[in-house]
Amino acid sequence: MTEQILETKTDNENMFLKLENITKSFGGVQALRGVGFGIAPGEIYHLLGENGSGKSTLIKIVSGAQPPDSGTMMVRGKTYSKLSALESLEAGIETVYQDLSLFGNLSVEQNVAMTAQLVTNKGRLSRILDWKLLRDTASAALERVGLSSNLEFLETKVENLPIAVRQLVAIARGLATKASLVIMDEPTAALTQKEVENLLSIISSLQTDGVSVLFVSHKLDEVFRIGGNVIVIRDGLKVAEGNLKEYTQEKISFLMTGKSLEKHSYRTSSPQKEVLLELSKLSKPGAFSDVSLSLHKGEVLGITGLLDSGRNELALALFGIEPAATGDILLEQQKAVIKNPRDAIAAGIGYVPEDRLTEGLFLQKPIRENIMVSILDRLLKGNQIDFEKSTSSAADFVKDLEISTPNTMLPAQSLSGGNQQRVMVARWLAIKPKILILHGPTMGVDVGSKDALYKIVQDLAQKGLGVMIVSDDLPELLMNCDSILVMKKGRIAKVFQAANLEESVLSQELLSEAIT
Amino acid sequence: MSALTQTRVAAPVTFWKAFVRRPEFITLSLIVIFCVVVGIISPSFLSIKTVTDTLRASLTTGIFALGVLLVLAAGGIDVSFTAIAIFSLYATTRLTLAVYPDAPYLLMVVVGLGMGLLMGLLNGYLVYRFKVPSLIVTIGTQYLFSGFLKAFIGSRHIMDIPKGLDLAGTTALIQATTSGGARVSVSIQVLVLILAIVVTWFILNRTLMGRAVYAVGGSIPIAERLGFNVSTVILFVFGYAGLLAGLGGMLHGALNRQANPSDLVGSELNVIAAVVLGGARITGGTGTVLGTMLGVILIELLTNNLILMGVPSTWQKVVIGAIILLASAAFARRGKT
Ligand SMILES: Nc1ncnc2c1ncn2[C@@H]1O[C@H](COP(=O)(O)OP(=O)(O)OP(=O)(O)O)[C@@H](O)[C@H]1O
Ligand SMILES: [Mg+2]
Repeated sequence: MTEQILETKTDNENMFLKLENITKSFGGVQALRGVGFGIAPGEIYHLLGENGSGKSTLIKIVSGAQPPDSGTMMVRGKTYSKLSALESLEAGIETVYQDLSLFGNLSVEQNVAMTAQLVTNKGRLSRILDWKLLRDTASAALERVGLSSNLEFLETKVENLPIAVRQLVAIARGLATKASLVIMDEPTAALTQKEVENLLSIISSLQTDGVSVLFVSHKLDEVFRIGGNVIVIRDGLKVAEGNLKEYTQEKISFLMTGKSLEKHSYRTSSPQKEVLLELSKLSKPGAFSDVSLSLHKGEVLGITGLLDSGRNELALALFGIEPAATGDILLEQQKAVIKNPRDAIAAGIGYVPEDRLTEGLFLQKPIRENIMVSILDRLLKGNQIDFEKSTSSAADFVKDLEISTPNTMLPAQSLSGGNQQRVMVARWLAIKPKILILHGPTMGVDVGSKDALYKIVQDLAQKGLGVMIVSDDLPELLMNCDSILVMKKGRIAKVFQAANLEESVLSQELLSEAIT
Repeated sequence: MSALTQTRVAAPVTFWKAFVRRPEFITLSLIVIFCVVVGIISPSFLSIKTVTDTLRASLTTGIFALGVLLVLAAGGIDVSFTAIAIFSLYATTRLTLAVYPDAPYLLMVVVGLGMGLLMGLLNGYLVYRFKVPSLIVTIGTQYLFSGFLKAFIGSRHIMDIPKGLDLAGTTALIQATTSGGARVSVSIQVLVLILAIVVTWFILNRTLMGRAVYAVGGSIPIAERLGFNVSTVILFVFGYAGLLAGLGGMLHGALNRQANPSDLVGSELNVIAAVVLGGARITGGTGTVLGTMLGVILIELLTNNLILMGVPSTWQKVVIGAIILLASAAFARRGKT
């Protein structure tokens, strides 16, 4: 491991929060091995590190969601060996969790503004709830993140919202009260360009108001646009700290992973002649209309668009989750009917969903089962499941995708966010699909594993798979695809060839309103 | 869905429009359909007497159901409340007869409530402290409470109940003779149910505890990390359910003018079904007072009037079961949109 000279701030007294020597282990896994840093008022900090390096664990310790094993925390000069959730909130620390931590059974307004009242009443549950205040607080916060504050939306249950809107609701909760420190754990993973732009301006206005921000993201472009300070952790240890101005993206990737990674095109092969999949005038009222496209063997096709562009709905339709209403789907020249995921799997279509938590992962179940669940029929020996085979092929995937876990029998929830995402990818590779639809495949995946994942994707394309990547991550599309479709208002607005395309051209096309 | 992110011009949503989209509407519809069908088959059903009979039958079920509602909303389940109720009634009756036979009803109620509260708190403590699913805990305590009652307090059926209890059961709030000559009356105990409804509604909708109940029913780990004191909430809901069970027990004794230690236990499912018919999800986190009361009315209408429709008594359970399944399917369909 490379040793870095650590820079420490001198003005300790003025720190809002100061962590010293925080350690935490889960069973045999040492998630944090003595991390310390300080947060000054009105400053922005980026907490960077690979998947599983301990970022979320550190955040949960600060927010009071879990206690550290040892170490101290100083908030406004007062020292704690652990914080309760209420103490942390009362101190003005608001946290937007990576898993969002929203109540699906409660309305948007309650999710956003309920905790604010709990905190002002010091957690006393016998106090009266002020519904008018709740509504006002929620409306203001929702408008700030660009969501509607009309009655219908305020009263919608969170479980009925798509993931990106949930993410915004979670951010709104973090902004609902006047905080001193707002922590955001990968808030942009599920957001598209437009919302990200808005979030960036929110962050700078927080800074202007003297609020500190602790920000986690795997998208280094974003990190550098925001600027401020950086804290890099690796394997539960802080390896660097300082002002972002002193670093480059390459240097940070290197600090995080210990490997030097450069941005380059991953594309290794080119599409073959045979058409695997053809869509003709596929439509679903209110979602997308007249979508026609073709996907060749060995092709990697990118699809992008803003939240309301219909690209998510298109992906869901192709996998039969929300089937299209009219139009044709041709698979290898044969008309195919895809009314549910079973049809899709039978037709050789694999789908890695966008929202791994609600659409895919069985959190309580072992990693092995999570990977093997879609091919149980192929693991039969007589009429019993061949567990040995299952374990060894699961172990192969764990190795190929570099999923960091000591044992495939551990539950999926013991994995860090990025590693959970890799489990989802492994599951669909296991069915040996002809067509693989990747929906936000590297959402919350660190630069090192992105690299690994992209190589896998290209390898699959080279073997003749047709790959569709639905994503907001523009560099990802540019580095991996043959062509990129931009969707707007349910239609394909423009088709780009990825080679030699500038990111700025693509991002401008995305944000411009008119359909060209 | 993405339209949600845009500000739309809100159409004036009337109360009625909003209500139609709620699960309670399904329950209300079922009540109306049932009344119309029975009314056509047997016109004598549509009478004041049906109203007062249903009300009377709903009194104890309603009180129990309010307690069950809180526990369900917090993500738990309680099957011990019938045992708590009969324990409170029987032990209070024995105690009163032994030491103060002329005790006023109110005093007896306070004693019964106290016993119910203690037993409920024990449930809550066991659920929270040992992290055992509440179904298991309350199956255990149901046996414990009713076994203890019969083994140590008495198994004799008491017919000559204390005067206070007797009086409370026979005093009418309203009494009248209908044009057909039938005498109808509404027991003074209706006031107890109304009070319980108001208090429960207030707790659920006007206090932070109410939100905490739904939050805990949504997800315990999330509630914890947002600063809710989960152990307090669990103790509270089970304690409250115990309190209402004690109250329901006293009511049951007053209305039936007897204290039978073998009563009530075994009828838990009826009450739980009423709450679920009112739109509360068995998995927790939802449920309203209005829905619960409608569910109670529906269940009581069904159990007491199917006979009028010519449904043989052996078939009544089949019909009730089918209606519960039908309603659940309707709730599930609604839940998706
Ligand atoms: N509840 C838990 N039980 C067991 N292991 C856990 C638990 N929570 C975290 N870990 C482990 O601790 C390590 C750090 O996880 P953490 O979630 O903090 O990573 P992270 O840096 O946030 O990663 P990511 O970028 O993927 O979100 C991982 O190895 C993870 O598997
Ligand atoms: Mg994380």
